[in-house]
Amino acid sequence: MWVGTPVIFTGLSLGSFYALIALGFSLILGIARAFNLAHGEMILLSGYLAFVLWHYFQVPFVFILLICSLVLVWVTIPLNYLLRRLPEPYGLNTLIVTLGLALLLQNLFLAWFSADYRLMTPAWPMVNVPWLNFSFPLHQGVLIVLALLVTGAVHLLLQGTFLGKALRATIQDREAAQMAGINVQRLSLAAFGLGGLLIGLAGPLFAQNMYLYPAAGVEATMIAIVVTIFAGLGRIRNILLGGWLLGLTQSATIFALGSRWRELVSAVLLLLLLYFRPQGFSLKKEG
Amino acid sequence: MKPNISLAGVWLRKIACLLALFILGTTLPLAAAEKIRLGEIDPLSGHLAKPGQEIHQGILYAVEEANARGGVAGRPVELISRDDQSKPEVAVNQAQDLIFRQKVTGLVGGYVDSLVGPISQQAARNRVPYVASASLQQSIAGNKNPYFFRVSRLEGVVEPLCRFLTQTLKTRRVAILHAATPGSSEFSDSVQAHLRQAGSEVVLEDKFRPGSPDFSVFLLKLPPARVEALISGGFYADNLILVRQLRERPLGLKAFIAPWGVAYQSFIDEVGPASEGLFGACAWDPGITRPGTEKASQAFVAGFRKKFRKEPNTTTMHGYTSARALLAAIEQVLQGAGQLTGEAVSRALAHLDLQLPMERLAFDAHGDPRYYQQVIVQIQKQRLVVVYPPERARGRVDFSLAAR
Repeated sequence: MWVGTPVIFTGLSLGSFYALIALGFSLILGIARAFNLAHGEMILLSGYLAFVLWHYFQVPFVFILLICSLVLVWVTIPLNYLLRRLPEPYGLNTLIVTLGLALLLQNLFLAWFSADYRLMTPAWPMVNVPWLNFSFPLHQGVLIVLALLVTGAVHLLLQGTFLGKALRATIQDREAAQMAGINVQRLSLAAFGLGGLLIGLAGPLFAQNMYLYPAAGVEATMIAIVVTIFAGLGRIRNILLGGWLLGLTQSATIFALGSRWRELVSAVLLLLLLYFRPQGFSLKKEG
Repeated sequence: MKPNISLAGVWLRKIACLLALFILGTTLPLAAAEKIRLGEIDPLSGHLAKPGQEIHQGILYAVEEANARGGVAGRPVELISRDDQSKPEVAVNQAQDLIFRQKVTGLVGGYVDSLVGPISQQAARNRVPYVASASLQQSIAGNKNPYFFRVSRLEGVVEPLCRFLTQTLKTRRVAILHAATPGSSEFSDSVQAHLRQAGSEVVLEDKFRPGSPDFSVFLLKLPPARVEALISGGFYADNLILVRQLRERPLGLKAFIAPWGVAYQSFIDEVGPASEGLFGACAWDPGITRPGTEKASQAFVAGFRKKFRKEPNTTTMHGYTSARALLAAIEQVLQGAGQLTGEAVSRALAHLDLQLPMERLAFDAHGDPRYYQQVIVQIQKQRLVVVYPPERARGRVDFSLAAR
């Protein structure tokens, strides 16, 4: 087996995980202009729900993904109504309100689930690829497939439907979209609904690939912010590419230089990107 | 003239009330002054909340136990607990608050050296004794701080671990993966020095930031380096991920050994059958206690279960031991009719010699515990079995599990 195969595969899997964590955040920020600092805590909420379903009711993982996605829609939609009432400066106010919400959720998790670490460990088989002489745990493959499917679906929604066109118009210029007759409030609701669906999906994956504890949301929010910066605001397809770039960089760094360089190399890459391409690494030039 | 008499009565009542208020006002502070105020700083929230809360429960139990016995030298003890949120800057603020505003007699608690270190500096600066519950970094105790004491020490972890690796497992090629924290980095350096002395070789060494989501790329490097045993200097949560990823790709290791985070029943429950055969280290457990202290250990377990409706573990016991040390030193000062000053309590701590379930507790000149020694355990049939040192072993190493 070529030694690079598992490194690349792990990098892609890790990057897919990062992308799935960031999708909901990027969508809500792009369309609703809401800087959701409680993003990680919402992922945790979904993760804890997944843990309860898996641990106490032995619900199959596929159904856990479905249930969590639907439940989180009903969490993010009220959040939309709450944030809608905020005065200008809207972005700054959403930041403050969601920070408060994050602290509230952290303390609720501490009260409900204690400070203990929780880990979902469903038994995933190993998959063998004989022609590459390479085997990998199925859950890593699931991450890559799921990231491709979800990003593809969101991309198709944005590119191929009227709703998608309206959403894109709102991302590009909210005021112009409003003047063109687009109901941006309703689109904001749609963004929060869709974002909730994606956050709900990320929760069980977070519980399975990381571990749950009341303050873990900060880590998830940081991942989402970094990947969104990598991709550029509202560029859904680039979220996956950004996640992959980050995951591959980290895997290659660990392999070539060691784990101790992982954060430093990622930070240097982020700084370089911010300096040379502040709009994200979109392949297309801005119009 | 009747109204005059009632006016006098009103005045008398007013004077009586004022007198009562005056008496209350003067006696209440006296009653409060009689209380012994202990300050506790632990990470009760944030990424170290789990061990922080476990230490807190141990300390709380020790204080309530002392109060149930009639207090310390007849004086009730008040525990003022503070949360450092797993952040060093908050730990400093809380230490200052406890020292200056609450005027505590002593400080107790603390988990990991990045939090214990700043608290110990505040304690030294303001001459307040501080007994840390979980600290290993040698420089913290070694900088001639007469107010700092702790109930654990690095050598008590490293020595049995290295002897077990070289004498029982007879491993020659070892890899170390540790957290990028001061105590864990020092642990790695010390293990390397000990193993080199014993003729073993550390062929791979790396560190990571706690909270890393993936170790699989690091694990890929183990087979080419022909590593026989992997030592993890990560914490409980890091080991959860590391063990899962280790089990996904069997690497033919003779042993996986982690001094922190594996020797816990909660770890076994969380990881399940994948925990079988792993090695850990611990100073105490409900089923692992020092010979001669079984009765005290059982009493602690029973009382703790009754109060908290859960099992205590080694982290809880570290909290309990540190609080017991501080309370014993205060008691010595009060029984000797001395004044309860920071200097007096520190002097008493320096001369302490206690028999506790976790250790015989006496401090050396640096404030380190002289007799702190962990045992090596292996998870067998979902239980912790002591396998080293031989005089405390309750079972034999199951090599078939270790090599799985």
